[in-house]
Amino acid sequence: MAEPILKVRNLAVGYPTPAGMLQPVKGVSFDIDAREVVGLVGDAGSGKSTTALALLGLARAPGKIMGGSVKFDGRNLLTLPDEDIRAIRGRDIGIIVQNPRAALNPMLKVGRQIGNAYAAHNGGSASDARAQAIEMLRMVGINDPERRVDTFAHELSGGMAQRALIAMALSSRPRLLIADEPTSGLDVTIQAQFLDQMWQTVQMTGSAILLVTQELGVIANYCDRVLVLHEGRIVEDAPVRQFFAAPRHPYSQDVLRLYREKGSDYPAQVASGAPVLMQAKGLTKNFPIRHSSKVVHAVDQVALTIRKGEAVGLVGESGSGKTTVGRCLVRLVDPTDGTILFGGTDLSRLSNAAMRGYRSRVQIVFQDPFDSVNPRWTIAQILDEPLRLHSTDDAAARRKRAAEVLALVNLPEALLDRKPKGLGAGALQRINIARALILRPDFMVLDEPTSVLAPRARNALIALLARLQAELGISFLFISHDLTTVRFLCQRVAVMYLGQIVEEGSVEQVFSAPQHPYSRALLSAHLFPDPTHRRVDHPEAAALQGEIPSPIDLPKGCYLASRCGFANDACRSTPQVLTQQDGRAVRCHRVVAGEI
Amino acid sequence: MLLKYVLRRLSIGLVQLLGLTISVFFLIRLLPADPVSRLVGMNASKEAYAQAQAQLGLDRPVLTQLSIYLGFQPDVSPGLLQGSLGVSWVTGSQVTAEIASYLPVTLELVTLSFLFAFAVAVPVGMLSALRPGGRADKGVFLYSLFAGSQPEFWWGLLFVYVFFFKLGIAPAPLGRLSPMTTPPPPMTGFILIDTLLAGQPKKFFEAAHHLMLPVLNLTFVLSGPIIKMVRQNMLRALQSDFVLYANSIGLPRKVVARYALRAAMAPSMTLIGILYGFMLSGAVLVETVFSLGGIGQYAVRSVLAFDYPAIQGVVLIITAISLVVYLLLDLIHAAIDPRIAY
Amino acid sequence: MSALPDIDALPALPPKRADWLFRIGLVIVITVTILAAIGPYIGPYDPMLTTVRVAQPPPSLVEIPGLLTSWFAGTLPYPPHFMGTDVSGYDIFSRVIAAPRTDLVIALTANFLSLAVGVFLGLIAGYFRNVATELLMRVSDVMQSFPVFISAMVLVTLAGRSTSNIVIALAFVYIPIYIRLTRAEVLSQKSRGFVEAARAMGNSEIAIALRHVLPNSLTPALIQSSVTIGFAILLTAGLSFVGAGVRPPTPEWGLMISTGANTIILGEWWPSVFPGIAISLTVFGFAVLGNALERRYEDG
Repeated sequence: MAEPILKVRNLAVGYPTPAGMLQPVKGVSFDIDAREVVGLVGDAGSGKSTTALALLGLARAPGKIMGGSVKFDGRNLLTLPDEDIRAIRGRDIGIIVQNPRAALNPMLKVGRQIGNAYAAHNGGSASDARAQAIEMLRMVGINDPERRVDTFAHELSGGMAQRALIAMALSSRPRLLIADEPTSGLDVTIQAQFLDQMWQTVQMTGSAILLVTQELGVIANYCDRVLVLHEGRIVEDAPVRQFFAAPRHPYSQDVLRLYREKGSDYPAQVASGAPVLMQAKGLTKNFPIRHSSKVVHAVDQVALTIRKGEAVGLVGESGSGKTTVGRCLVRLVDPTDGTILFGGTDLSRLSNAAMRGYRSRVQIVFQDPFDSVNPRWTIAQILDEPLRLHSTDDAAARRKRAAEVLALVNLPEALLDRKPKGLGAGALQRINIARALILRPDFMVLDEPTSVLAPRARNALIALLARLQAELGISFLFISHDLTTVRFLCQRVAVMYLGQIVEEGSVEQVFSAPQHPYSRALLSAHLFPDPTHRRVDHPEAAALQGEIPSPIDLPKGCYLASRCGFANDACRSTPQVLTQQDGRAVRCHRVVAGEI
Repeated sequence: MLLKYVLRRLSIGLVQLLGLTISVFFLIRLLPADPVSRLVGMNASKEAYAQAQAQLGLDRPVLTQLSIYLGFQPDVSPGLLQGSLGVSWVTGSQVTAEIASYLPVTLELVTLSFLFAFAVAVPVGMLSALRPGGRADKGVFLYSLFAGSQPEFWWGLLFVYVFFFKLGIAPAPLGRLSPMTTPPPPMTGFILIDTLLAGQPKKFFEAAHHLMLPVLNLTFVLSGPIIKMVRQNMLRALQSDFVLYANSIGLPRKVVARYALRAAMAPSMTLIGILYGFMLSGAVLVETVFSLGGIGQYAVRSVLAFDYPAIQGVVLIITAISLVVYLLLDLIHAAIDPRIAY
Repeated sequence: MSALPDIDALPALPPKRADWLFRIGLVIVITVTILAAIGPYIGPYDPMLTTVRVAQPPPSLVEIPGLLTSWFAGTLPYPPHFMGTDVSGYDIFSRVIAAPRTDLVIALTANFLSLAVGVFLGLIAGYFRNVATELLMRVSDVMQSFPVFISAMVLVTLAGRSTSNIVIALAFVYIPIYIRLTRAEVLSQKSRGFVEAARAMGNSEIAIALRHVLPNSLTPALIQSSVTIGFAILLTAGLSFVGAGVRPPTPEWGLMISTGANTIILGEWWPSVFPGIAISLTVFGFAVLGNALERRYEDG
């Protein structure tokens, strides 16, 4: 057995706070072997990013490394003089971080920065550095690197900036790459492309990877071994298959419970005779652009039917218009055209005042739980607001009801007199759900309710939502980019691309046999938490090419034609229509014709 | 691109100045002051009063007065369009000429003070940001809070007491040169430059000697906010993600320091501009203490004498200069920071 | 994507910094406030009346106990002048402690007026964006481009040098700052999730603006208040110093400094120095307080 390239022992990091020293990392020990891909998983606040930085002898101010050792090549990085450790950083150990655009210097061209990183460890002239920067950008899969090398960070998309970062990190071919949540904030297809690219590049440079993430899908598909960080300590260290098959620590078991319990079953369909509760037809929303006669086509002729007690998933990448659809249904955005039938009333025609009467029956829960509650109010006040507006109960009865819904979402009544500050994302999102439930609505839009939650909180919320749906018979429109969640929670699913629904059907239909080329690409890019079907072991055909067209100047024919491997001339010239067949609908004439 | 931006900013500035001119014009006429009786005295006869009123043009309807002032009736008298700010009611000379003789003093004083304050504040603020919470940082921080909240005229008096009366190393606070010295022939109006142009180094040093205390005075009060700002911007830059990242990929200290410095300087420009504009009129108190005869003192004299054309002229000119300074500093800001789009 | 509140994103500044400083600020501000209430009555002399002892220098610190004893014993026929007397024979100490009645009251009232008007207009301008509010902002821009000291001087002098006119003039020059601050905060608050949630619950726009947006947008204006009060005291004193402020013999710090300015060149330092120390400390106190509030706000 070869010596590990990195040996971490009892690493501890502390932050001074008014209440004393806070230790997010309390004594972490692990090894990494050469060419090994190791996943580091844990909740928000478990100290993952702090650990990643500390491996390089760094801590975000005012934090301090309190103790332990990080042995690399037999040298303890934590006790090296400044000059020596700087020589190792970037040359022997590369790092990429989440939020790449903030990590790039906003005032220097990207090429200069990559060049600086290269020159710092390899010397050479400015023109060498520039040539190297272009070469690296090409290697990480950036088109037209000669032009991109002269752009600034704010001109790059998130995916592009992350590639620039990895170009910088790998420019000196390090033996270890630390990747700290490199894909947080990226779309599913970009995430998969990026991770594939990273994985392939590392195969070429021969680096080991420490991949820090919250996503079990990422772990399952790319890692050889898993480290679980919980409350500042490594609580589990196992090969990836063993981790998913037989997690040992209670925290790991908790994280994986949902997948292990639900297995491969799809949620049961609602009875076919169930009444239709909410139906949108021809729903269209354009946003005007300032100083221009053009508009952004956010939502284009969307039709949706949601039955009583049914959960419909709406999936798609950012910019697909799914959030706008949700907001139109509850009239937070006024649709440009189309009807929204709710129990026989067309909500889109109601005046703002008349709509207020319906607010008790249609509700919405937003993506960001922290932002959705008034920070100055107590939980009791927050929950009381809808009651105050819509019910005639007295204060005592309203407080009783508030305690009731808190219990319904598994939160203690004692929370009522607290303020939101200090509560975690999971608890706050439950409070948001409780607030939406308090008036006993018939229909709820859930707009990416789990996207900022850590794995454990996310699983608990999904379980809660499934229970509420079964117990209360509420209908949901569940908007998400996370296909795993939709698969566990929804009966039907609609896939959106550039404002249009491109495919609609039962979850089983769409997930087991997607038909539209976009749905296929989306599903193939999705990282299901299943280490027995690793993406890196079964390379997928290149999914979609190029960039998403602008929603201002849309293509004439099929919106996907420019990126689709199946596109022919007819696709490029003929607008596509949503065609029903076998209880599902697809917007692709080639699929309907049985050609693909 | 750049030219278009400058032109747009200038035209916005012009509209703003026009709005300012009109509002000042009405504002001072709305206030219950009687400039005519101030001029002719309380006990003047009705005829004398009416005559003075006609002479000042105050017998005309207000809108006519405005149109004359703006220069739409050059046959009556030249106005703004003709480049005239009118005639002072007190001295009878052109307001433009008077301002031209008072303004350089202030510009000299304020600009010098800014240069000194900046030269002190940048290194101090940066050193202090390198060790936040340290002893030196606490001291610097306390100083910046203190200096930024001081009555500058009182400090001026203290300086006079200590350096002139007690120590005798500063001249009496009686102007830009000692009363016995004949000033150099005015060419630029900036006495430091004029003495050099006239080849009179002795007078140059005398002028510099006289400017010493006022500049020290203003530098002291200005250094407070500037240090505070530099320190804060530097702290922010040092704790930014990209500096942390630059460290984590092993860039040399020197390169990282350059990254941070540039990021700290860019946002500082805006505040410098605002402070400069503020000081153009804020220097009045220091000018008064040292009898420098700057634009601020001209403003005080005009206001106390109800000299409307002079008041309007001063406000207009000071605002115009401030707007130009804002524009210049925004251009510098944009040159440092590519995220600022024209 | 919203940022995750991670332990990795702890407050960047050392959170506990010089809390003793905050306490000093608080003590100064409270002391001055008390003096504003009772200052004119507790001094040994009537601040508005002259004595026959003109330009008398203050006793040195060691002399004070002796002077006090002999006054209590009746051997000194008049109370000691702790800070001396000025050229007209006013007791400086009595006037220094009586002056907050003028300075602080002017500053507080002016600040309160501009805060109230500015926050109200800023809320409207930020929450309801239309032609009228755009126009309001342009007017505010023009107002803000006025040179502060000269505008205040013009307003006070032409309107008449009374306390109420000083208050109005100061309020006038500070209103645009509050409009800007509040508007900017309203703009960022009104796109937050809880505002949209309030709409989804069926609140009217006015209810949202008043119940949700306003309370969450007040903090920057309140922090600014502390700074503005300090600056207003400086401005009030400065106006008096150039002869455009309150009329003598009102006990006011700036006016007192101005009285002493003519004789300091001859070595009579005390008529200016003591009121100057009072201003210096008071404004510093408000600055410290404002800074502490600001830090608390940033730390959340």
